[in-house]
Amino acid sequence: MTEVLASRSFRGPAAEDAIESVHNNLDSLWLDVPFVQDMDQMTFTTAVIESASNIVQHAEPAGPDQVELGVDITVQPTLLQARVSAYHAKPPFGPMEPATPGEDAESGRGLALIQALVTTVTFERQDGTNTWVLSRTSQA
Amino acid sequence: MEFSYEVKDSYAEVKADGRLNMVSAPKLREFVTDVIAGGSNRIVVNLENTAFMDSSGLGALIGCLKAARQAGGDLRIAAVQPQVKMVLQLTSMDKVLTAYGTAEEAFRND
Repeated sequence: MTEVLASRSFRGPAAEDAIESVHNNLDSLWLDVPFVQDMDQMTFTTAVIESASNIVQHAEPAGPDQVELGVDITVQPTLLQARVSAYHAKPPFGPMEPATPGEDAESGRGLALIQALVTTVTFERQDGTNTWVLSRTSQA
Repeated sequence: MEFSYEVKDSYAEVKADGRLNMVSAPKLREFVTDVIAGGSNRIVVNLENTAFMDSSGLGALIGCLKAARQAGGDLRIAAVQPQVKMVLQLTSMDKVLTAYGTAEEAFRND
């Protein structure tokens, strides 16, 4: 049985306000687990906000219900994990491979940044929900 | 996020305090565009109190850099904090957006 030392969950409309709420959740989470090193906090926070922002900016509703964002974060002794979900959303459109934009491009760096920040990124689609699972092995 | 600016001798210093994310990124772009339209094309964005930046915020800085150059000037960043430095390095944009220790240093030698 895996020991969960701290956790936070958010669910709400996939709108700009949600990003600030998720960020505030992360800030308060780190206060509960001060042994998680600054570098791990910084990288993981950035990856979670990138993923949540991606959903707010790009997820399209599959039907009449608006897209909702869900972010479930758990801290285990040497593992930080976030399940970042888009509920009531269409499957992601287009390639999910990170782009390599030119140096004057103003967008397109998010996926590559997420991959650089965490140990693994996996994608699941089930019952109309897209979920990105971000895991970062943290320093003990 | 809160924005402010101050016109100095040879440049305009823009401060962006808070989180530079998908919510505030368009506002930074708009703010800097207005400063440039006001007659300042040499811009220093002081990131001393910017605790967080994501790829949207980075995109806004690049947009502001392009706007300053189109106006015949330049945009430089100063007082970069650790998380912002990390995002700049991981995206290799630290080569495009040169970071200076303080706002005063950014245009000192031009």
